[in-house]
Amino acid sequence: MPTITFSYTDFLQLLGKKLPLEEFGRLLLLFAKAEAGKFEKETGEITIELDDTNLPYLWCPEGLARFLKRILGKEKGIAKLNLMHSSYKIVVDSSVKKVRPYIAAFIAKGKKLDDYLLKQLVQMQEKLCENYGRKRQKVSIGLYSYKRIAFPVHYKAVPPDSVKFVPLEFDRPLSLKEILRQHPKGQQYGWILQDAEKYPLLADDKGEVLSFPPIINSNFTGRLEIGDSEILFEATGTDEESINLAANIFAQNMAERGFEIHSVIVSCEGRTIVSPAAKKEKMKITAEAVKELIGLKLKEPELRQLLLKAGYDAEGSYAVVPPYRADIIHPVDIIEDVAIAYGFDKIKDEPLASYTAGEKDKAAEIINPLRKIAVGMGFQEIFSHILADRNSMLSGSGIPSAAAAENEKNIVQLENFMSETYSAVRNSLLPGLLDVLARNKHEDYPQRIFEEGIVASRAGKSIFECRSIALVSAHPKADFTEQKQHLTAFMRTLGIEFTIQKAAHPTFTKGRVGSIIAIGKPVGVIGEISPAVLSWWGIEMPAAALEIDLSALLNRVSGQ
Amino acid sequence: MESEKTAEIAASLHRLERAVLVLPHLAKHSAVAELVSASGMQEVEVIRALNWLQNKGMVVLSEAIEELVTLGENGKAYAKSQLPETRFLNAIKNKPLPIAEIKKAAGLTEEELGASIGALMRLGAIEPSAAAEKTFKITATGSEFARSGTPAQRFLSRKFPAKAKELPPEEKALVSELKKRKDVIREGIIKNRTAVLTDLGKEVARKSPAATQTTDRLTPEMLVTGKWKEAEFRSYDLTTPVPRVFFGKPQPYREFLEEVREKFTALGFEEMTGPIVESEFWNMDALFMPQFHSARDIHDAYYIKEPRHATDLPQQLVKKVKAAHENGFGTGSKGWRYEFSEEKSARLIMRSQTTACSARKLASPDLKIPGKYFAIGRCFRYDVIDAKHLADFNQVEGIVVEEGINLKHLIGLLKLLAREFCNTSDVKVVPSYFPFTEPSASLYAKHPKLGWMELAGAGIFRSEMVKPLVGKHVPVIAWGIGIDRIAMFRLGLSDIRELFSHDLGFLRDSKVV
Repeated sequence: MPTITFSYTDFLQLLGKKLPLEEFGRLLLLFAKAEAGKFEKETGEITIELDDTNLPYLWCPEGLARFLKRILGKEKGIAKLNLMHSSYKIVVDSSVKKVRPYIAAFIAKGKKLDDYLLKQLVQMQEKLCENYGRKRQKVSIGLYSYKRIAFPVHYKAVPPDSVKFVPLEFDRPLSLKEILRQHPKGQQYGWILQDAEKYPLLADDKGEVLSFPPIINSNFTGRLEIGDSEILFEATGTDEESINLAANIFAQNMAERGFEIHSVIVSCEGRTIVSPAAKKEKMKITAEAVKELIGLKLKEPELRQLLLKAGYDAEGSYAVVPPYRADIIHPVDIIEDVAIAYGFDKIKDEPLASYTAGEKDKAAEIINPLRKIAVGMGFQEIFSHILADRNSMLSGSGIPSAAAAENEKNIVQLENFMSETYSAVRNSLLPGLLDVLARNKHEDYPQRIFEEGIVASRAGKSIFECRSIALVSAHPKADFTEQKQHLTAFMRTLGIEFTIQKAAHPTFTKGRVGSIIAIGKPVGVIGEISPAVLSWWGIEMPAAALEIDLSALLNRVSGQ
Repeated sequence: MESEKTAEIAASLHRLERAVLVLPHLAKHSAVAELVSASGMQEVEVIRALNWLQNKGMVVLSEAIEELVTLGENGKAYAKSQLPETRFLNAIKNKPLPIAEIKKAAGLTEEELGASIGALMRLGAIEPSAAAEKTFKITATGSEFARSGTPAQRFLSRKFPAKAKELPPEEKALVSELKKRKDVIREGIIKNRTAVLTDLGKEVARKSPAATQTTDRLTPEMLVTGKWKEAEFRSYDLTTPVPRVFFGKPQPYREFLEEVREKFTALGFEEMTGPIVESEFWNMDALFMPQFHSARDIHDAYYIKEPRHATDLPQQLVKKVKAAHENGFGTGSKGWRYEFSEEKSARLIMRSQTTACSARKLASPDLKIPGKYFAIGRCFRYDVIDAKHLADFNQVEGIVVEEGINLKHLIGLLKLLAREFCNTSDVKVVPSYFPFTEPSASLYAKHPKLGWMELAGAGIFRSEMVKPLVGKHVPVIAWGIGIDRIAMFRLGLSDIRELFSHDLGFLRDSKVV
């Protein structure tokens, strides 16, 4: 979610109306999917968090003021832009097609940049490129002092070693390849070009480099300074709609700040486009569709007024989308704005009319009785994370290191885990319960604990998830007999016959571990935890345990 | 009134208390040791009873520290077989002898010999013989000592332990003299505990029936024989602390989730489930989240190492979802207009949102229209774990599928949730943003203590999502509740990690709501 900071006084000037902070906060929440954060009394700056990641035109004081002017009825419809046509040209070479095919640009003149305005331009550039432009991959923006540039500007792709220039914040020329390795921005954004053979470059007609999009500007032309009054804006990227959106948002903002906006001709293989391309899309919005989605019965004129209030133009039964928005792909996107302009707080709620029968998942039928019995037998319930440490399932479960690699194949592991502690999906509840014993050696014994939950394992290309229940007792006399009593109580509750067969299991003491056989197959394990496993965990108390695969029993029980 | 109270106290006395209280010794200041011997009880019993009585104000216990003098190992031996100097004296009692012979006759070590000569010379009991070198003879004083013992020898034969304070000055001097020798004298302290009855104690003692007359426990035998009819049962002190017992308990957070499950079934919702290892298809693509969406970054979800891809995706449905992403699938939408990757769609991840369960339900042949569904499920996010974030947490989510429902019903449903889960009608429903719903709304509810909090998010599924899954467009209201946060409020926790605590002390002490 983007967060922006701006001067509240500046915002009120843009809005052209006094607005108490509290009322501003209310309007943001109710209309702009935004929340007012901290107001710094000393600087007069306010911080705002915006919810909608698809609406970059609101991520600046200009856009918010424009939007609220319409909500408050001071203006309506699409904001006008007086675009002056110029003959400045950007020549696009077909070599960029493979790497970063699109560019949009304009020139803003006639107002001197001050410190605050420069800060706002940079903030908007950053938010748009990082959040909307997918960390500059889809869109990156460059701003230049126009007077140092000899037009036409050339946009082309060049071999990484062929060009050298001094990047921002550096004092010596680097090749494009060197920039990716040595410049902090190159290190940060170099991944965007990792598969490219040639790198994008903007240079003027004299060969002076403007920038290396989307990485860094030149230290000479690509540096905006306070007092500059002629600015070249360009946006490059992989998506034509997005770079046009960026240009349109900036052009509109700067026009509202008092700049004259001059178009730039972008020519590519003989085709020329006047940029920024302010295409206005239309979409049909009927009162019927509005009623269907938001339940409001609106008359045509009412609907038109709400469209204008939401910042659209209304032409017949069509809504015209402003060029500084690109989030509209379906009529519902516009109808939501109609509902917002109407006011969510004025929409009367209605109860659901149909009766439906509630029902729990079948698994609850077997799980909850067993949980109650475990509690009745004196066990404290544990609720653990499903992600676990791989090691707790290998050496922590008594698997010798020689067999670790083989056993690891049965564990569902994460590719991009952040810490070993949560690096795999648990394949048994026992390691988690042993972890509880290990962490609570200072607590009074006996310690009797249990858990019910999801475990998963892997067999080749398949992953199996099941519900499992496990019990562990730790006290000086914890033994097989005690666990067999618990097992009997469980199975009797479920009405299932069982036997215990001799088995080998690395977690348990040899000769004191059995496989639980029910409904004709192994459904669990029961035994005394081996001293080797206890000492791996640092547990200084005998322990016995059992674990049952409930998914295996579930069908049988619910089938009865 | 006063006497009623003492009678009540008297009746509630423990067997041990009663036995001690009536001992005549207690009327005056008595040493605990005396009480022990007089009562015929064990020392621990007497002390325990005295402590109880003191707590109830019936006895005052006091403790005096006393310095004691006793004999060490050598001291005891010397008391029996005499001090070296006594043996020295006896050896020359009758005639002067040379040192070597004295040593032999008295059985002295070289060290004892030297010490004896020094001591006896100081006492004036011996003197060197003028006649022969290195020969000693006894003096008159020495003869007297040989008969009746030296002062040191006499001291050793007194009764020990002796109270240091009570020793006469000459004996005190002997003590410091003998202390110079190895392990003859030992000094120590003892605590002398004494007890005396208070006025209340005296009164209760008068009222207390003899110890033997009350019964402590009812036995099966008393019931069989009918002896219980004669028994008078001792009343208990009901305020006495008892040892702690550890019983079985449900985990409070797990129990809270069960309560949530009950609540939704009661509201007519049917539970839906789904796997935790999920394909990107069900987790995101089926929700019309474009494959380039920022929440689908490698840094936002956990990816499975092996196997990498699901092999059981419904291929026909994948084609429809692909079309929705690419061109809107005839829903009146432009779609996301990019090339949908079926390989990416099959990639296995840890489920990052329970909406995956809703997608599976919408595509399922047993979907009921009208229908209400909910899921309580574990979700996983690539997050740094701290007091507010977990890698592995729960979501509660649901859908309402019904012809003719709209934003008005959604707002109604959100207000219902606020009443059910926050017990409040003081709510705000405001516009919000979710990638798969339009319109989208957030529910804020006023918590009586914590003020406005975001309780739930909701919206109406986009038809680009619904039409491929259901096969036609039908309004679907979807909502999700941040259940972990509500659970923290309910359980009074400030750190989200405590929801899955492995701290047994914490769990044993926790309230289960």
